[in-house]
Amino acid sequence: MFGYVEPDKPELKIREYDVFRGYYCSLCKTLGRRYGQFSRLTLNYDLAFLYVLLDSLNSLPISGKIQRCIVHPLKKRFIIFSNDFAEYASDMNIILMYYNLEDKWNDEKNVMGGTGVLALKRAFNKAKRRHPEKCASIESHLKKLSALEKQGCDSMDEVAEEFGAIMRDIFECESINDENDRKALGWMGYNLGRWIYLLDAYNDIEKDVKNNSFNPLVSQYGFKGYNINDFKESIRGKVNFALTYSLSEVEKAYSLLAIEKNKGILDNIVYSGLIVRTDKVLQERGIEDEKESL
Amino acid sequence: MKKNPYKVLGIKEGASYDEIKRAYRELAKKYHPDRYQNNPLADLAEEKMREINEAYEELMKNAGNYQYRPDYEESYNNSNASQGTYKQQYQQQQSGSYSYNTQYQYQYENESDLENKVRMYINSGNIAEAQRILDRMKNRNAAWYYLQGLVFLRRGWYDRGYSSIQRAVNMDPSNFEYRNALNNLNQQSAGYRYNNYYRNSYHTSPDMCNLCINLWCLDTFCECMGGDLISCC
Repeated sequence: MFGYVEPDKPELKIREYDVFRGYYCSLCKTLGRRYGQFSRLTLNYDLAFLYVLLDSLNSLPISGKIQRCIVHPLKKRFIIFSNDFAEYASDMNIILMYYNLEDKWNDEKNVMGGTGVLALKRAFNKAKRRHPEKCASIESHLKKLSALEKQGCDSMDEVAEEFGAIMRDIFECESINDENDRKALGWMGYNLGRWIYLLDAYNDIEKDVKNNSFNPLVSQYGFKGYNINDFKESIRGKVNFALTYSLSEVEKAYSLLAIEKNKGILDNIVYSGLIVRTDKVLQERGIEDEKESL
Repeated sequence: MKKNPYKVLGIKEGASYDEIKRAYRELAKKYHPDRYQNNPLADLAEEKMREINEAYEELMKNAGNYQYRPDYEESYNNSNASQGTYKQQYQQQQSGSYSYNTQYQYQYENESDLENKVRMYINSGNIAEAQRILDRMKNRNAAWYYLQGLVFLRRGWYDRGYSSIQRAVNMDPSNFEYRNALNNLNQQSAGYRYNNYYRNSYHTSPDMCNLCINLWCLDTFCECMGGDLISCC
């Protein structure tokens, strides 16, 4: 479900790419330091984006160091020094990934999910102690979400709303002092969450039909067992609108934020990376093949 | 603390008149109230717009060059005018008036009070109350679907919002307001998808594939007309 938010790499400047990777590595190191080495495996791009975004709302200079890390032992890399936002993003990463794995374990008895839940339990408790209100709010949305999934809700908006609300909680970081910025961040998170949820739903149609599990798009448009590709084709326009409009709202919220640095990277993601990602899923150009580590 | 007008417009200090004007136009388009209709962030956009207008005004005052004066007056008045209408709209909301402008006010004068109430709540951002009234209404006509669509959009339910407004347009194709809303939705999403950044990137630049196809087409057409562009095929 996670990892859809990423830059449009060919369009990034090399300098921007290095800085983005610096943030990514910084978040990875922060995770390791705060939650143990295993937690580093759960790192995803969405939270790296959040880290860059939050850190770009102040004008403090970016500082880091070229150093080695155990994930990439051969080559030294530029890694940005950890700060409050890295810590916040790492907490949110643990919380989101724990709930995600727990969900997988409960729904499908997925072995990976079960193992992950066990391995992350301690880290999760730690993160929960740091953000008790956020976790309570996220849990209540997750409860509603799974209730809607159980009753086979036939409206994509209604289901996506809950996931959007979770991402709103994640994006509304308390350490951002400006109230307007927090509000814009919240709306951005909500719409990004909607986009992630619906994009993932479209991506999973085949799998869900095969496993007979819930998929909001299948229940809204009623797949009746004819050719699955025809079905996907028939709903593509509608889904495309819902996705693109959500992204246009992400962009509107983004343009109201007072971005002080990393504008190149953030613009790249908001104005291009997300569109490229949407098209990749809608047109089914092999996503899995293109996935590679930074 | 007053902000540096150059920074507000995102330009270098001492930028030329044209640069200032271009930057202003670009930003005014970005934060235009039309783009933030039915958006919970409308007030932030409004504030931003005010900042931009002030910065532009100040820079233009300082530029103070006589030959630019008429042009400047014009655009300044324009911006003031748009601010004015916006303010008016705002006051209408405050005083409890329900519609966007008088044209619609007239149109709905004879209709049920409930519709007007819904409009009022939508304008003031009280979406829960608007939904409650909509649920109570029995007559599901085009206006109902339109208002329901607006409520959905405001909540972030774009799929249902779009279908509702589409339905309103189908039920009453002659209504300008409904069609306008539908067009606006399509425009917003297309406008985002073909934004400047994306348009100027490699996605749309001609690549080798295109080049070959174009050459091949050209050759075929030439042969149709009796000539030949590439003699070997």
